[in-house]
This record gives sequence, C-alpha cells and structure tokens, in this order.
Amino acid sequence: MRAHGPRVSCVVVTVLALCAALAACGGGSGGSGGKTVLRYSWWGNPDRAARTEKAIALFEKQHPGIEVQTSFSGYDTYIQKLATQAAGGDAPDVMQLDYRQINQYAQGGVLLDLGKQKDLRTGDFDKGLLGTGVVDDTQYAIPMGRGTQAVVYDAAQWRKAGVPEPRAGWTWKKWAWAMGRLAEATGKAGSVDPGHNEDWFEIWLRGQGKSLYTEDGGLGFTTGDLTRYWEWTSELRKRGAVSSAEQTTQLDGTVENQPLGRGKAVSDINWDAPSSGYEALLGKNPKLAPMPVAEDGTPGQYFKPSMFVGAAAKTSHPKAAVALIDFLMNDREAAEILGANRGIPANDRLRKRLIPELDGFDKVVADYQSGLEGKLKDPPQAPLQGDAALQRTLQRDYDQVSFGKMSPRKAAGQFVTAAKAELR
Amino acid sequence: MTTTTRTPPKRTAERTARTGSAGRRSRREPQGAAWVFLSPWVLGAVVLTLLPMAVSLYLSFTDYNMFDAPQWIGLRNYTQMFTEDARYWRSVVSTLTYVVIAVPLQLGLALAVALALKSIRRGRGFYRSAFYAPSLLGASMSIALVWRAIFNDGGTVDDLLSRAGLDIGGWVNRPGWALLAVALLTVWQFGAPMVIFLAGLQQIPSELYEAAAVDGAGRWRQFVSITVPMLSPVIFFNLVLQTIQAFQVFTPAFAVSGGKGGPADSTLFYTLYLYDRGFTASHMGYASAMAWVLLVAIGIVTALLFRSSRGWVFYANEEER
Amino acid sequence: MTAETRQGEAPAAPAAPAGRRKPVPWGRVALHAACVAALLVMLYPLAWLVATSFKPADEVIASLRLLPSRLEWSNYSTAMDGVGDVSLTRLLGNSLLVSGGAVLGNVLSCSLAAYAFARLRFRMRRPLFAFMIATIMLPHHAVLIPQYIVFNQLGMVNTYWPLILPKFLATEAFFVFLIVQFMRGLPKELEEAARIDGCGPFRTFARIILPLVRPALITTAIFTFIWTWNDFFTQLIYLFEPEKYTLTLALRTFVDASSTSAFGPMFAMSVFALLPIVLFFLAFQRFLVEGMANSGIKG
Repeated sequence: MRAHGPRVSCVVVTVLALCAALAACGGGSGGSGGKTVLRYSWWGNPDRAARTEKAIALFEKQHPGIEVQTSFSGYDTYIQKLATQAAGGDAPDVMQLDYRQINQYAQGGVLLDLGKQKDLRTGDFDKGLLGTGVVDDTQYAIPMGRGTQAVVYDAAQWRKAGVPEPRAGWTWKKWAWAMGRLAEATGKAGSVDPGHNEDWFEIWLRGQGKSLYTEDGGLGFTTGDLTRYWEWTSELRKRGAVSSAEQTTQLDGTVENQPLGRGKAVSDINWDAPSSGYEALLGKNPKLAPMPVAEDGTPGQYFKPSMFVGAAAKTSHPKAAVALIDFLMNDREAAEILGANRGIPANDRLRKRLIPELDGFDKVVADYQSGLEGKLKDPPQAPLQGDAALQRTLQRDYDQVSFGKMSPRKAAGQFVTAAKAELR
Repeated sequence: MTTTTRTPPKRTAERTARTGSAGRRSRREPQGAAWVFLSPWVLGAVVLTLLPMAVSLYLSFTDYNMFDAPQWIGLRNYTQMFTEDARYWRSVVSTLTYVVIAVPLQLGLALAVALALKSIRRGRGFYRSAFYAPSLLGASMSIALVWRAIFNDGGTVDDLLSRAGLDIGGWVNRPGWALLAVALLTVWQFGAPMVIFLAGLQQIPSELYEAAAVDGAGRWRQFVSITVPMLSPVIFFNLVLQTIQAFQVFTPAFAVSGGKGGPADSTLFYTLYLYDRGFTASHMGYASAMAWVLLVAIGIVTALLFRSSRGWVFYANEEER
Repeated sequence: MTAETRQGEAPAAPAAPAGRRKPVPWGRVALHAACVAALLVMLYPLAWLVATSFKPADEVIASLRLLPSRLEWSNYSTAMDGVGDVSLTRLLGNSLLVSGGAVLGNVLSCSLAAYAFARLRFRMRRPLFAFMIATIMLPHHAVLIPQYIVFNQLGMVNTYWPLILPKFLATEAFFVFLIVQFMRGLPKELEEAARIDGCGPFRTFARIILPLVRPALITTAIFTFIWTWNDFFTQLIYLFEPEKYTLTLALRTFVDASSTSAFGPMFAMSVFALLPIVLFFLAFQRFLVEGMANSGIKG
C-alpha cells in the first residue's frame, strides 16, 4: 500500500517550488514606482562585483530618481550573452565593452553616439586613448581603464639560472636567448609559446612597422609575415625554450593554466593586471618587465584600453545612462571604491590621485605603467568586426603547427585565407 | 545535458499508433476532448519547434550576422561548408570517431553493470544509486577540471600507466588521446542506459531460465539464447537513443577543452564548431546550415539503424498481436 | 571491465539451488567484490572533486595529488558568500524554482499529451505522433536563435519563463513517449468502467489514469529535475541579472579569464550545487526502476 507515495512526492515538489518562488521574488527589486530603471551589464569576478555594487549604491544615492539593475558574468559568457541580447534588439542601457566588440556593435547600430552628450566630461582623458573608442569618426565608447602587455617572471628562478633580469628596450633576440638559457638551467620552458596568441603576434608585427589590420578594413600582414613568425616560434619550441605543444594547447586565459602557473615555465607573456593571480600561485611577488622590441628598437607594445563603457542606441533613458557613465569615469569617490579593478583608470586626474593609495599588485602594475609612459607608440585602431573569431582561428591553426600536423607556411596560408574571408 | 536520453524507437512508436488502445474502445468519445488534452503540446510544437525550424531553414540560405537583416545568398553556406572549409570536415571526422567509440563503450558498460546488479539481492539499491551517481553531475565546469587533472601529464591515469610501463603522457593535451578522454567522460555517466537495461532485464520471465537450466544449458548459452534476444528491443532502444545523443555531443568537449575543441581540433565536435561559427563568429546563417545538415545526417543514421533492426531485434509479442 | 561482464552473468541463473549445494556462495562474494572495485574507480573523480574543494589556491590546478596538503576552509566561506551581493541561499532558491517549475510543467503537460496519444481517438493521430517522435532528433542548437527571438518578442527574456514555459508545453517529447508507453499497458476496461460510473474524459484522466501511471510520472520528475538543474546552456542565454542566476550559472562566474579567478571556491560551490540533486535522487530513486520497468519500453 504505497497509495500515499505520489501524493507525498507531489506535495514535496510543490512545496519546494513555492519556497523557491518566494525566495526568488522576495529579494527582488519589487516596486520601482516612478523610478528610471537602468540596466548595466559587465564582466568580471566576484571581487569586481562587490566593488561595483558599492559604487552603484553611491550613484543611486546621488541620483535618487534612478535605479540601476546590474548584471555580470565571466568574460566568455558575457561576450556571447551580449551578442545574443544585441541581436534580439535588447542590449542593456549601459554596457562594458571589449576592444574587440566596439567595431561590430558600432556598425551594427547598437551603440549610442556619446560624442553628442554634453553631460559627459572627457577633458581628463588622454586623447590617444580616448581615440580608441572612436569608430567612423564617432565616439561610441569611453575607455574605463588601461592595461598593457608584459613579460611576467619569477625573479628568484632567473637569478638562480644566472640569467640577468630583463631591462627596458630588450629585443626579441635577447628575449629568445634568455629563454634558451633559462630552459637549459632550469629544465623547464623559459616562457609560454607566443605563437598561439594573436595579441603577442601583433606586438611582434608592430615592431616590424606593420599592423594586424589596415585603416580600410583589410589585413595588415601577409602569409610571409605569419610564416616567419611561426617558423621562429617553432624553432624555439623545438629547442625547449618555450612551452611544448602539450602545454600551449591547454591555455584558456586563466593564469592557473599558463605554463608559469602550472610550474612548467619560469616566465609568461600576459596582460599586466590579470597577472595579479600569480601572487597566489608563486608565493612571492611576480615581476613585470616590458615586452621585447624589434632589432631596430621599434616597440610593438602599447597601452590598450582594458575595457570600455558604452550606452545602447535604443535606451529609453539616454540622460540617465550618460549620468551613470560620467559617474563611473569621473567621480572621485567611485574611483576610490573601484580601485584598479578595471585596470589603472584612464582618467589622468583620477589616476594621479589614485596611484599613491594603491598597494599590493595594483601598485606593481601602476609603477610598471608609469615606467612606460611616453615610451610606447599609439594604440592601433579598434579591431575589426570578425577579429574575435580570427583570434580563435589563429590559436587553432597554430595548434596544427605545434603538433606537427602542418608546416608553418601551410597553416599561415590557411589562416590568411580564412581571415580574408572573415573580413570580406 | 550530456547523458540525456530522449529517443524512443520509432518502430515501437509506430506499433503504438497502429495497435494503440485508443480507437476501438473510445468510439463514442468526442474528438474535442482529445484536442483539449493535446492543446499544450500543439502550442509548443508550433511556436517552439515548427516555427523556429522554419526560421532556421530560411536563415541557412542567408548571410546573417545577428545585427543586420539577413541577406539571401542561396546555397553558398552549403557549398562553402562542403568544399572550402577544412575545419568543418575535421569536425565531421572527430564526431564520427566519437560516436563509434563512446556509444558501444557506454552501452557495453551499462549492460555489464545491469547484468551484475540483476543477480545481486542484498544492497542492490545501494549499488544502483552509487553507479548512477556520476550521471547526476552532467559535464559541469568543475567536472571538466577534475577530468583535466586526472588525464593530464603526471595525473592519476598517466601515473598509473607509466608505472605499468606504458608511458603515454597526458591524454587531454594530446591529439588522438584527448578524444578518448572526452568519450570516457560520457561513458562514465552511463546511469540512464543502465537503469533502462535493468528494467528490461527484470521483465524477462524467470521461467525461461528455469526451463533452459532443466535442458542443461550453461550460463553462457543462457545469456546468448535468452538474455540477448529477450533484451534486444531494449538494447535497440538504448542504441538509437545514445547514437542520436552522441551525434549532438557538446558539453563534455566544450567543458574539457575550454570551448576550443583542442588539441589540434581533435575534440572539435560538430555542434562545438556549429556553436563557434554561430555565436563566436556571428555567422548565424552558416550555423543554421550546419544544423540542418546534422539533422538530415541523424535522420539517415536513425533510419539505417531501424532498417538493420529487422535483422536482429526480437519482439516477443510480435506474433501475439 | 570485461571482468564484470562475466561475473555479472554468472549468477544470472536461478539463485535458489545454489544455496543448497554450497555453504559459502563464492560466486556472489566475487560479484560483490567486483562491484565494489568498479565503484571505487567510478567514484574516484567524485572524491577528487570533493577533495579539491578543500585545496589551497596553488594546489587546485597544479597539484596532482588527491588529498590537499592542508584543509582550506576559506573556499567554503567564500562560496557561502554567494556571488557579488547575491547570497548562496538566493541562488539555491532560484535553481529550485527553475527545476521545480520544470518538473511540474513536464509532469503535467507530458501526461496530458500522452493520454491523448495513448488512449483517445482523434484525426491526424498517427502523423502527429510520428512528428512528436521526430522532434527528439532535433539538435537544439538549430532552433536556439529563433526561439530566443520568440521569447524576446514575448518580453520574456531575463525571466524564468523561457526555462519553464516550454516544459508546460510538452516540448520534451521523450517524456511524452515514456508516459504513452506506460498508459498503453493499462487494461482496456478502465475507461469503460469509468464511463459507466459517469466520468467524463477529464475525470477519468485525473482520477483513474494518473494514479496508475505514477511510476512513469516519477521517472519523468527525477530526470527533469536533474537535467534542468544541470542545464547550464539555456540558463546562460536567458538570464542576465545576478539576482536571477541559478547555482549552475553562478559557478561559471568564479572563473573569469580576464581577471583573477577563484577555482577553489568554485569547487566548494559545486559541492553545494550537488547536494540538492543527490538528495532528490536518493529520495525518489526507488521509484525509478519501477517506472522504467513498467514503461513498456520493451515494445
């Protein structure tokens, strides 16, 4: 006699569902009677979430008529979700944007022309950096913070190996020599293999006076350029100077999975701020050194806006959206709350005020950046639509090279063909 | 998402329709009632299945980047896919390899465990739950990381194998081996087919075995001439189900390879590449074309399986009906 | 694994006479031993998952040892804090709401449709049934964007409706089929008796048929609950606000390539995410095989 079986389980299920419904509705934003409701989306981790919520609370206090609904997720997730939203004509009022998205979103009519908004103050921004948010002569996005590339290294291991620490202005040749020496002395790879990443290729390419993309939306390099680059990295890889194919293929952007993070290499090439993760992994402070330059001294490295903020063209509250952007970019208290979490602020006035207050790895990054001030070339134009896909294609094609399934020339030819099709 | 088992054998289904209990009995039943019962399903089928399918068929003939209006380009997505895209063909080969490895391994293991559990009296419930446990997990981020740790250089598997003198190195970071590691993740979650096998085994009348034992048939003999034929409809059911699932495999490879389908495209399965083209590269037209090709391919394979089933699937009640 | 196969078949023969001949059933002991050995291998990754949730940051990825060098409880306290300003209980509540809603929807709508297909007479029954079966083959990536557009037009994006509503519309054909198979096995006289008692089709369905197909409904409920709980992909696409995030979704936010990630707390949170499905499964699993057994899958 299990006659009660189904009834009991039904009751259990219903009660669970009701509890959940109550829990889910309880804390919600309930009645936002008469208030302007803004949606603000961004990517990041829980720490950034906590800081952002605090800053938003301050904004809501300053603007009692506005309520901000925030939304965040990890980077990969965010990029895809925003694309789906934008495609559905449903982009959030204010959104954090990556360098690689601006072009596509601006041309797709998703973004609001911020240049026309008088309430937005941009006087404290470096003109070159501000220009990175311009597409077709229109200011669609404002850089929030800036970052730059770096060689991250474990100074203790370098000293033990007897390799002098890197100095500003070191060339790729010297870098390659150092990696070889480190590998011989430590038995680990000197560095991550730079062949897998479009970002590092770009720096090498800029050193040669070229660029990933041309002004008129074409490809800025040839099969020959990419072949030379990959032949060079392959040579290093075969000598063990840089990480093996088996290590390189596992890179997913997190420091935990970089060869340096796994203890399989003694240095890394990475962006400056995300390298803070090495503190927890390496125990002592990881050090940052500038990227190598070309033989004639031309630097390829640049200050890249680490992220932008933009507003939706379709927003029903452009004034409120602009007020929020202005607050995030210019408010002193907001800057103190947010710290260097979104990169060292791009606002010159706030940066000067903030730097002395930084500590830990934020300070390492700030010092690293001020040491580079004035030594780097202007950033390239915003990457073209289709670049996000090409970035991954490049990784995959290089996998074919590093596992010996294709020659550098063949893979490079394949990549260039795909790139041209993508940019068509 | 991975071990979901949702496909019934069509043959059984057809028979249901043919000999179904409905007709003759409820002759005086007004038809209206049936439509009331069906109405949620009809609404769902039209709005959430038929309409989206029609839209995606249309998109497959267009260039659509999700921002601008779709542009009609005829068959170009299809010709590009078949003639110009080397990576597409690599994804087809990976997927087929995966199907051929994962499906038999998973079903074999599920059947073996079900057979073992059938003859256990004490603690059967415990074993059943414990063997089912991995299937509760899906292929989450954390499981993927565990998998990467176990099948990496110096991980548990590498460690055990090199002690046994087999120095292969890591699996997840080596083309040729990574696919096997991903397949094992699916195989490991064999709970659903196991439960179905167990149910099928319990339906085989014990008199058959008793009679066979009286005739002096050994255990192997009994397995071959009673268990296998009596179980063949269930084996077939699971086979169709898991094959269709395997063609659509996404999450295990996505999670274990971090979305890249590496190393060297060895786990870039069909749906993974489809997702990549559609959502990373914003080529929704191309992705829709890929989806339709997959749909047709699955349809053909399923039809072939049904055709073959006439040769080996034994329906006990065929004669009765 | 072949060892188990042979062990497995061995005692498949009648168990009764064995007891008379041998005092110690060695076959059975060996079978248990084989099962336990297989279980140890099977559960090793689970042990790894739980052990990793206690590892300090530098051991989570790099260390290849099962046990942590010291217990890092802070992973759990970080996970307990939830994500951003969204608490763990909130995330848990959201997940329960979505999975609970899906269970309710599937059980209700699939049994309704199944009843019509299995026991009622209407025009187009055969082609519609075949169509329903065919929808199981549909790769869901194919209809993702059009479905999104539909839900966006209905203003349902960033609500739970896109996750729950399809279940109320019987879109999971597998379950419809499962219940059809089950209903088909019920005696033909049921409806006639009910009609004599003056029951219409609705009362017959609710009072007589539903209670009899209970195991199939429970099977549907268990699978729906587990699958919905783990379905990261749909939730990812439709939910934007952290307040609406489910546990499965929140897990992802611990790992962000562009800033410092927190693998340790993520593992701790996965353990939390696992608990409800384990409990749900343990509570209902005894109905599971019963449900499967009677579903008439056998054909």
